[in-house]
Order: sequence, then C-alpha cells, then structure tokens
Amino acid sequence: MARVHHKNGRGGGGGGGGGKGKGKGKWKMPASVARKQQAAMANVDQVTGDKIPKSFVFSRGKLPSTLRHLQQDLRKVMLPYTALNLKEKKRNNLKDFVNVSGPLGVTHFFILTNPKSSPHLRMAKTPQGPTYTFQIKEYALAADIANSQKRPRCPPEIFKNSPLTVLSGFGGLGEPFKSLVEYFRHMTPAIDPVTVKLSTCQRILLIHFDREKEMINFRHYSIKLQPVGVTRKIRKLMQNNQVPDLRDLNDVSDYVTKAGYGSESEVDDEAATVSLASDVDKLNRASRKSAIRLQEIGPRMKLHLVKVEAGLCSRDVLYPQPVGKEGLGKKGKEVEEETEGQEDEDLMESDDDPEDESEE
Amino acid sequence: MASATAPQPVSSPSAAAGAASNNPHKRKKPAARGKGKGKGRLAKTPRRSDDPGDLPRRRSKPSDRFLKLLRKRARDYNSDDSDEEERLSDEDEDEEEGASGSGDDEAAGAVTRFEQGCRAFRVAFTKIMAKKLPDDPLGPILSAHKKLVAAKLAEDAEEHKPKGEGRREKRMAAEKGHVIPTNHLDSKEKELIKIATQGVVRLFNSVSKAQNCRKGLNPSRSKDAKVLAKETKQAFLTELSKTSNQSQKGKASSNFSKNNSKDEDEPGWAPLRKTYMLGSKLKDWDKMQTSDVVNEQTEIPLDDSSDEE
Repeated sequence: MARVHHKNGRGGGGGGGGGKGKGKGKWKMPASVARKQQAAMANVDQVTGDKIPKSFVFSRGKLPSTLRHLQQDLRKVMLPYTALNLKEKKRNNLKDFVNVSGPLGVTHFFILTNPKSSPHLRMAKTPQGPTYTFQIKEYALAADIANSQKRPRCPPEIFKNSPLTVLSGFGGLGEPFKSLVEYFRHMTPAIDPVTVKLSTCQRILLIHFDREKEMINFRHYSIKLQPVGVTRKIRKLMQNNQVPDLRDLNDVSDYVTKAGYGSESEVDDEAATVSLASDVDKLNRASRKSAIRLQEIGPRMKLHLVKVEAGLCSRDVLYPQPVGKEGLGKKGKEVEEETEGQEDEDLMESDDDPEDESEE
Repeated sequence: MASATAPQPVSSPSAAAGAASNNPHKRKKPAARGKGKGKGRLAKTPRRSDDPGDLPRRRSKPSDRFLKLLRKRARDYNSDDSDEEERLSDEDEDEEEGASGSGDDEAAGAVTRFEQGCRAFRVAFTKIMAKKLPDDPLGPILSAHKKLVAAKLAEDAEEHKPKGEGRREKRMAAEKGHVIPTNHLDSKEKELIKIATQGVVRLFNSVSKAQNCRKGLNPSRSKDAKVLAKETKQAFLTELSKTSNQSQKGKASSNFSKNNSKDEDEPGWAPLRKTYMLGSKLKDWDKMQTSDVVNEQTEIPLDDSSDEE
C-alpha cells in the first residue's frame, strides 16, 4: 500500500518535472515554480506521502525566565519539524506568525502566555483553528528532571526524529476532548507501520488524561532498547568499543562468566519486551527479544483545559469552563451522561451545533 | 628659618612659583580674593623673613587652589557627600582662621606658618575629638543637618525594604507552577511510564507484524511479486472506493496514536463489538461527527489501512 503512495508521491513531484525536461530537450522549469515545488516537497513525507505537521513554539507577552526555558524545552520536544531558534519581537503579533506559517508549511502553534502570572499554553492549528487553551498547573523543566536523575540520558541524536505520540485516558470522552485527541494525533507525523524504521523511534510523548482531576499529564521520554539475556558486561563491551580492563582476571573467559555485582535489571517484565522487526543497532538485532526502557527527558506539564475556540485565538468559544466548583461539577456530569448512551444524543447534538455553524 | 624651609619640598609648585614671581598679576589675585584676616596674615609674614618671604606666600597660593581643585574633584566624585564635606571644610577653615588669628596674637614670637597650620589642625582635631557624641545609631556625623541625614537614611531603608519584598513576590509569581521533581519516581510517574511503555510495545509489535509478513516475500521472484502486486492492487482499489467516512477509519488505524483510542481493539466481526446492538445510530453519528471534525482540522493525506489487510 505504501508503495502506491510512494509512487504517487514521486510521480506527482519530481517525475512530472523530469518527464517534461526529457520531452522538450532544453526546457527548464522556471525558478519560481521549482522553488514552490521544492517547498511543497519539503512539507511532504518522502516515504508515505503524508503532509508533515510542523510547528512554531513562541510566546506572547513577557515571560519569566523559567517559562522561557519551558518554551525552549517544548521546541526540543517538537523537533525536528519546528523552529528551534525562533525569535519573536515585541511588536510581532499573531498575524505575523500566521502569515509566515503559510509559506513555511507550519500547521501547529504552541503559544506560551503568562497572564496575571499564571502560565497558560495555547495549542492551535493554523490558519483556521481551533485553539485549545490550557492552564499550566504544574511544570518541570527538562533541566530539573535531568537534575533529579542519577544518570540523565539525553543524547542529541534522539532529537533528529520526531517523537511518537501516545494518548491514553481519552477514550469515551465528550466533545472538547474528542477534537483535542484529533489535534494531538496530528501534532506529530503519523507512523506507517510498514515503512517505519525502528531506529527512528527514540522518543515518546505521552499525553495522559487523568479523569478524576481532569488534568492532562504531558510527559516526554526517551526510548532505550536493551537486548534480553545479555549480561551487562557484554552490553558495555559492545557499546563502548573499548578494550575492557582485564588486569585482575586469569583468563579471558572470566570476564564473561564472572558475574558483576547485582544483575540489576534482569527482572524484565514480559510486558516490556518486544521482538524487533529490523536491526536497530549493533546490540538490538532483528528477531531478537529486546526490553524497552523509558527514561524521562522532560519537560513535564500538568495541563488543565480552560477554553476551546473555533478560530485561531478568536471566534466562537466552543468550550467554556466557568471557574469554580459549580463548573467542575456540571462538567463531570456532562461527561457521564455522554458516556451513558443514547438518551442524551439530543444533548450532545445541541452541544455540537455551535461548532457546525463555525465550520460553515 | 628651618621651619620655613621644611615645607618647601612638600609644596611641589615652588619652583613654578619662583618662576612666576615676577608676574605681578598673579601676586595680586589672592590679595583681591583673600579674606580680611588672611590678608593681614599674608601682610605680616614677609615682614618676619625677607628673602624667602615670597615663598610661603606663593606656596600658599597654589596650595589654596590645589585644595579647591581637590575639593571640587571630591565633590564630583561623590556628589552625595559633597555638601557634607564642604561644610566640614568650611568649618575647618573657620577654625583654622580662628586659630591663626589667635596665633597671630601670640605670633609676636617666631611662629611660622607651618606651625600655625599644625596648631590649627591640632585645635580643630582636638575640638572634634572633644565633642560628646550622642548615642546615635548613625554614628558620628559632622554635618549640621544631622536630622536631615537621619531622615534620609530612614527613608532609604524604608524604600529598600519593600523593594526586596516586591522582588521576592515577583520571583514567587514567576515561579508559579514550577515544581521541581523529587529524586525518586513516585507511583504516579511509574504508572505513566508503564502506560508509555505499553504504547511503545504495541507500536513495535504492530511494526514487526507488518514488516515481518513482507520480509519473506522477494519481489524478484514471480510468485511473491504476484502476491505483492495483488496486495498493492487491493489497497489501491480500497483507496479509490474510500469515502470520507471510511477514510476516517483507515486513517485512524494507520496512525499509531490510535492504538490507545477506543475503537482500536474492537474485533472486525460486528457481534463481538462492545457497541453491537447498542444503538448503531449513535455510533454512526459518532463517526460522522469525528470525521467532520477531522475534515475541518486537517488536510493530511490519508494513508492506507495496512494493518487491516
């Protein structure tokens, strides 16, 4: 299937230009057209033919330094399809970003604001919206998380590929969350199981909805694969590419047979082991069992959905959440009713009406 | 006489003064400017010693200027202290003059200017030292505007205090929501890691499933090539026949994140589904609804539903 896509993609882009070049001999594509085609190609995944979602992470208003660090961390999360060194000026308004986003193929905006010194994060699609506004209840920077770990692991190579997105806890929820799930799903490039290379899956973005507290937990982990049934010494030997220290040993075999202190992580739970389809690296070969280890790289955020707007930071408010206990109680009931089934169909429809209108 | 020569090396511009001695203009200036007492004093000295008599006078002239310059510099350097210093120096001058005046009375003997200076200083110094200091938290201040200084200092302190508090508040506001994680993983974090691990495992399994079944096929062999062609053809046809409704489904399954959403694990056979006979209308409506949302939101091209094939 992917083959078809593959061919289609090629045929549409480079193939057409090449054919023309052959037929007319010295016909040359005008520079502007070539540039446009190239730009269009850059926005499309070469293998699957999907449009690649790209993002801008920026801030509106003045931010304290910790939030500025958070902004940088978010940019790193969204790598490689984001502007890592995006500079904004005070006089830039949202329109400027929208204008730039079109030609660059930017589809997602993450806007950090700090109104009344309570940090907010807006996630939006360009240019039409919708916009989801979250209040950041708690957050921790990548640096904080690295500080809290004994052995932080954050090699720069893992940022060369976009993260996988795992959504959990969103099943069977009502309207604002349904569209939110769609939003998160298209935030990072989709993965085609047939063509994907496992070695490119090195980071994972977990977005977990805590139903009791109505909070969205945002976590960012690195994926590490460890072969099962290989001792630590062998693993290190393979990884380090160095001659091991054999001074104290009588025989080379001792190095392998002698057990190190505590076979630390041998308690692999079956749930975390997979058999790989292709070689990932020297150690993790195809059709071998490997254990998956996740280590947090940050940032960490606890988000609370405050508002959903139909447009880009404008137009109808689809999901207002009144502040206070009353609102929370009402919302909880609503969700329950929605999961119950048929009888509240009317209610849901009436809920969705404003959105339909806004679409038109 | 020895006392007169002693200060000579101290005042450096003596040579210059000597050179300028024949300049009458310079000589007149201090006389015009000097105070009455100083004038008298100056007039007296040359009487006592004739030939080096000019020297002390000229010496006093540049030193006076020099002092003024110094004062000015000090004022420029520290404008806060300037008025105080000036006041101080004025006081000193007054005292010096007083002392010199009293010295003049005694000076019938052989009291030189140097000694006078010494004495003046001594008098001033002892006077200052003899002053009784009140128990002031500010310490000794030689200013007449003691109260003013005190008030100013108090004001400063008051101003400083809210500034610090404000800064702290500001920092607290800036750090709002910033939680520094603990060193150990608590149960909640472990739970989250578990969920994420499950997701990764699912992805890897689905990838290996999708890629392993193709691995055995070699496109160069005619038999396998047929299978592959059939597959692609089938997929192509399904792609063609896809309506927006179906495409939504295919897209959802192709996307990995879908793994954790609700219709993922539903079996293909309708009676096994959870929602079977539970109001398919609702379900269909649901689908329509989401697809609408998707169409509105994205234009990402749909890709195949390879999992299902």
